[in-house]
Order: sequence, then C-alpha cells, then structure tokens
Amino acid sequence: MNSLTNRFSTTGPLSELKRAQALVENEEFSDSAWGSEAGFGSLAKGVPNFTVPSVPDPSAFLRLHTDDHADPNCRIKIQHGTTTLAFRFQGGVIVAVDSRATAGSYVASGTVKKVIEINPYLLGTMAGGAADCQYWETYLGIHCRLHELRNHERISVSAASKYLSNLVYSYKGMGLSMGTMICGWDKTGPAVFYVDSDGTRLKGDLFSVGSGSTFAYGVLDQGYRWDLTDEEAQELGRRSIYCCRTPRCLLWLTLEDGWKFIGNYDISKLHYDGPGETPGAGYGYDVRIERSTAAPVAVQA
Amino acid sequence: METSFAITGKGYVLVASDTTAARSIVKMKTDEDKIKVISPHLLMAYSGEPGDTIQFAEYVERNLRLFHIRNNYALRPSAAASWIRRSLAQSLRSRKPYSVNLMLGGFDVTTDTPHLYWVDYLGTMTEVPFGAHGYGAYFGLSLLDRYHNPEATLEEGIETLKRCINEVSKRLVVSPEKYKVKVVDKDGTREIEL
Amino acid sequence: MPDMVALSRQQPQERQFNPYSENGGTILAISGADFSVIAGDTRQSEGYSIQTRYAPKVFRLTDKAVLAVNGFAADGNMFVKQVRQRLEWYRHAHAKDMPLRAIARLIQTMLYARRFFPYYVYNILGGIEDDGSGAVYSFDPVGSYERESCRAAGAAQSLVQPFLDNQIYFKNQVPQPGMTHPKHLPLGTVGDGLEMFVVLAKGSPLYGLENFDGVQEMTSTHEGERIFVVRRNLKRD
Repeated sequence: MNSLTNRFSTTGPLSELKRAQALVENEEFSDSAWGSEAGFGSLAKGVPNFTVPSVPDPSAFLRLHTDDHADPNCRIKIQHGTTTLAFRFQGGVIVAVDSRATAGSYVASGTVKKVIEINPYLLGTMAGGAADCQYWETYLGIHCRLHELRNHERISVSAASKYLSNLVYSYKGMGLSMGTMICGWDKTGPAVFYVDSDGTRLKGDLFSVGSGSTFAYGVLDQGYRWDLTDEEAQELGRRSIYCCRTPRCLLWLTLEDGWKFIGNYDISKLHYDGPGETPGAGYGYDVRIERSTAAPVAVQA
Repeated sequence: METSFAITGKGYVLVASDTTAARSIVKMKTDEDKIKVISPHLLMAYSGEPGDTIQFAEYVERNLRLFHIRNNYALRPSAAASWIRRSLAQSLRSRKPYSVNLMLGGFDVTTDTPHLYWVDYLGTMTEVPFGAHGYGAYFGLSLLDRYHNPEATLEEGIETLKRCINEVSKRLVVSPEKYKVKVVDKDGTREIEL
Repeated sequence: MPDMVALSRQQPQERQFNPYSENGGTILAISGADFSVIAGDTRQSEGYSIQTRYAPKVFRLTDKAVLAVNGFAADGNMFVKQVRQRLEWYRHAHAKDMPLRAIARLIQTMLYARRFFPYYVYNILGGIEDDGSGAVYSFDPVGSYERESCRAAGAAQSLVQPFLDNQIYFKNQVPQPGMTHPKHLPLGTVGDGLEMFVVLAKGSPLYGLENFDGVQEMTSTHEGERIFVVRRNLKRD
C-alpha cells in the first residue's frame, strides 16, 4: 500500500527525487548550447557527455550489438582500421598508413585517411575503431590548442600523448578500441608515442599497429637505422606498407616546423614500377626476381 | 611473458624485471623500465593488466612523494608496503579494480635491514626472503629455495639472480630476452648491468 | 496451479534489451564540381512486410545541405529531428545557416555522444561547401566520417557501391590511348532513384534539369544554392 501511494503521489521525497532525476536527464544541453555553442555536438558543456543505456551492464549491451568479432551477424558494424606505422629517425618522423576500412567482412572504404592531423605539428594514426580515433584525437587537438593559449608554448608530444592515454584509460572496459601513434617534433626532437585503449602508453623509436603490423614489422625492423636519409626513410615506409597488401599507401613526414604530406601511392604501381617512373623497378617479389635474373648486376636494395 | 624476481641479501634487496611491453603476439617495446623508484630507499616492480600497471604505479609514486614533502621523511618500507597493499585491497572492492602484481624491495634505514614484500592484485601481501611473479615464478622459486642465501654479498646475490634468469631463458617457451635489475641498500637505489 | 508458477520461476530466464530493428532501403549520394545529388528509396520494411511505401529517408536540412539516413527508421527520424533542432539553434544564434563541413562535424559529435548506446543509422550528407564545390560526407553509426565523391549505404550498398566505384571513380576502367578520365562527372549522366535531391551551387547552370520528369524546385529564392527534388515510382512489387 505504501509503495502504491509512493508511486502515484506527486509530493513527498520519492517523487521529489524522481523529478530531480528527470530534470538532470533532460539537462542534456546548457543554455549556452542554444546560442553560440550550438555547433559543438556532444561538447556543448565543454566536456563530452555520453548517453548510456539503462541496463545493468552497459558494456555487455554494446558488445552484443556492435562487436563483430563475437558475432558476425550483429547489426551495428563499426569501421575498423588495418595497418599503420611510424618511426623516428635523424630527419624526423615517418608516418605511413594504408587506406582500407572494413566493417564486418565488407570493405567499407578504400580511401580512408588513417592519419589524423591533430594540429600542424602533431599527427595521430588510426587503428581500431575509426570513430574512436577520429573523435578522441580531434578532442586532443582542442586541448593541445588550449595548452598553447594558456602556456604560450606548444605542448610536448609526451604531454599530448599522456593526455590521450589518461582520457581513454578513464573509459577502460566500456568498449573503446583504439591503437594509435602520436607523432611530432618538440624540444626533445622527433618523438613517437604509442597509445592504446587499454591505457598503455609507450615511448619508442618505431611502432606498427593493426592487423597487418606483423608484416610491416618484418620489413621495418630489418631496414631501420637511426641515420637513415630522408629518401631512404620514405622508401622504408612505403615498402613496409606495401607488404601488407593494401590498395593504397599514404606517407607523411614530421619535421621541426610541422608535418608535411609526402604522397599517396598506388600499391599496384609500387608492385610493378616502384615509386619512380622506371617500369620494372617495383617492390614485387616476382618483379624483383625477374630483375635480378635478367641483370644480376643491378640488384637494388 | 612478464616475469619479475626479487631477492634479499646482506644489507640489500635486488629487484629484476623483464623489459618487454607486448600486445597480443607482438613485442611493442623491449626496453621498457617496469621498476619504479618510489622513494629514496624503496623499489617497486609492477606487472599485470596493461594500463592499470602504469596508472597504479604512478598513483603510488605520487602519494609517497606527497607524504615525503608534507612530513620531510619518507615512509619506512613496511609502512609504505602496508599503504600500497591497502590501496590495492580497496581497489579490489571497487567497480574497476587495478589488476597489478608488485614486488616491493626496500631498505629500512632506521633498523639497517632490507625488506622484500610480495603483493598480488588481490591485495595479498607477505614479507619474503625472495619472490617472483609471472611464469618465471614457476622456475625461479624452486631454484631460489635451493640456492638463496640471506647472508649473501651483493656479488653472490647477483650470481643467484643470474641463475634464475638463465633458467627461465632455458626452459620457458616465450622467455623475455632482457632484464632490468635495480638494487636498494643503505646508499639508496641504483641500476645494475648484468 | 500455484505450484506450477513456482516451478516455472525456477527455470533461468534470459532477458535481452534489443531496441534495434532494420528497416531496409538504400541511399546514395554523388557529388560533382558544382552539384550534389542525394537519393534514397521511400519504402520502409521490416522482414518480409512493407510498413509503408512512402517514408522519406532523405531530408533537406538547409538550402545547401541534404541528409540521407538509412538503417533503423525510428533512430533515423529521431536523429534528423535532433540535427535540425541544433541547426535551428545555430541559425538563431548566428543569423546564417551552418556551413556544410560544420554540419558534418556536428553530426560526428552527435553520433559519438551515443558511442555507448549507438543510433543504428548510416548517414550520408550531401550539399555544397562554402567554396561552391559539391560534397558528400559519409558516416558510420558512431560518427567516423570522411568526405568523398560518392557513397551508397543500406541494403543494396554492396551492389550499388561497386557500380559507383566503376562509374564515378572509373575503377577497373582504362582510358582510351591519349585520353584521361574526366575529373568530375557532368550532372546529366547521374542515375535516378525514388526520391532524389539535387543541390546546385550558386550560379551553376541547370544541366537540363528543368526538363526532367517529375522534378520540383524546393528553393524559395534564386539568389543562392538551388535545391530540386525528383520523385519517381519504381516497381511496386
């Protein structure tokens, strides 16, 4: 009886609480979102806020509907990345990525840009959930800019990567999926940090992330030296992505005064002709063998 | 696979940990330092869930530093170990527990005695003459039971530690290649090249 | 009888919260140098039953932005409603329409706000950028997006996208000796759908659009971009 009156009464602490809860739940937007901040999406309040289903285990709910490894028939297919690599050498940082995105078994896009330009001197790569990487690295960009405005100096790569790692660590276990390299140049010189959604953050010379990373490592580890020239380093980046059997390869170089885009290479052209205009100078195994048997002297590196 | 060892000797504690950071079958890094110097006479080797390890280690490091700044003296190893254990135990009952295993090696300057604590992610803590975590424990503990000597000099201690590392390299399928070794004694902490 | 109730209670019961459905249909968008075409069918179905033959999936957002939404219709309608609300707020605050690239970013953040309880929708945004170029943005359900020249989504994505790749990007086509593929397609060669929006950049020619069957202009002024809608009946099976 008591519970019945409680449920239908409009006064008393319980209904008061319910009304307060309803108010909080509807308070998705602040007044400012109505005005000049209308364009900020989930960031209208300054910090991102997320809708979570009211079920006992929200991450199990998310897994049930989105995890295509567990269940290929699940409805919501989130785009996933494939191969990305970055390495540090005397001339800066080379970042090379492929351009294929898959959702389930379908190749969703062959033109994805898996490098996110956080700002003119910081690059982030994208492997794992495409939206997770895009959103959080863009969000990181906002905070790097705020750091600049507050401190009158550029944020270090170390600090930026730690900001990202702490961010994703706070969502650990909720189902985020990202493996990224934060690359840039700061007072310490060229720097690469690996950050993933487990909360791992590692400083290093060379990393590769994604399902094709093992193949990329095979070429990268063997060809890597600190004192690579710019040209050699770019070639190493292209060859490492080439071996992952992707349609295209995108290449970037980070320098002291910011990153620059090197090129977008067609892998089948690299296979037969290499990056230059010489026919038959390609990376392909059969192309290479044919070349070395035809002219044993002209064996290329 | 992650492995850490620690042994006590006459006036010192040796702490060793492998240096690999792996993700699935790939070694992402082979020179990662997984032993933190958390106060002038205290070392902590940590292993476990990626992300949790570094977050917990930094949490401990900063809190002990804060204590040191506020009180002008550092916690003794036994007190620090108790505080760390309690942090883990409280975290275990929280919504998202830290899954971190620790080896705490310290030198108590007030009593001139070395102390070694073995702590796991459940908050189990025990003071031991030697200890190990990870797959290396399956090989190292029996070996240390046979060869460990609490009165050993530093040189002898290092030899015993090398025995452990060699045994793991010999028998464990996925054995780590490199270890970082640190020692704590009356003079503080320092790194040792094996 | 009370015993039987008690017995059945002892069995474990599985409960699942499934707030999603799939309502079929296909959407696609193509952009050229100074135009953008966004099309979608209008059938809404669930399993083998047709719920309605006319439920638009393509929505005009502003004078130069059109959004096509495919997947779960209830989520899609809700989402479009919310996007329109945010665009209206923006209009009140700034006395102008939101630029296309900003709408694309807004859609990303709005989708990502539901990262842990996603809208089951695939969005394609088409329109004219501030520089007057035609643009298409495609999104996944949680907000990853990219600007492209053409994109199809929905039930027939795997049939339509390869066709578009061949006809728009000239994939698997070799140009005649001495010739190159055109950079942008002229509007005349673009196909038709059940409901199709055409957005023309300011001052661009009509490309013979005025003679199209069933065309209707949606723009009120002739000052800025012009939006046309073409409605066609396909097979009613």
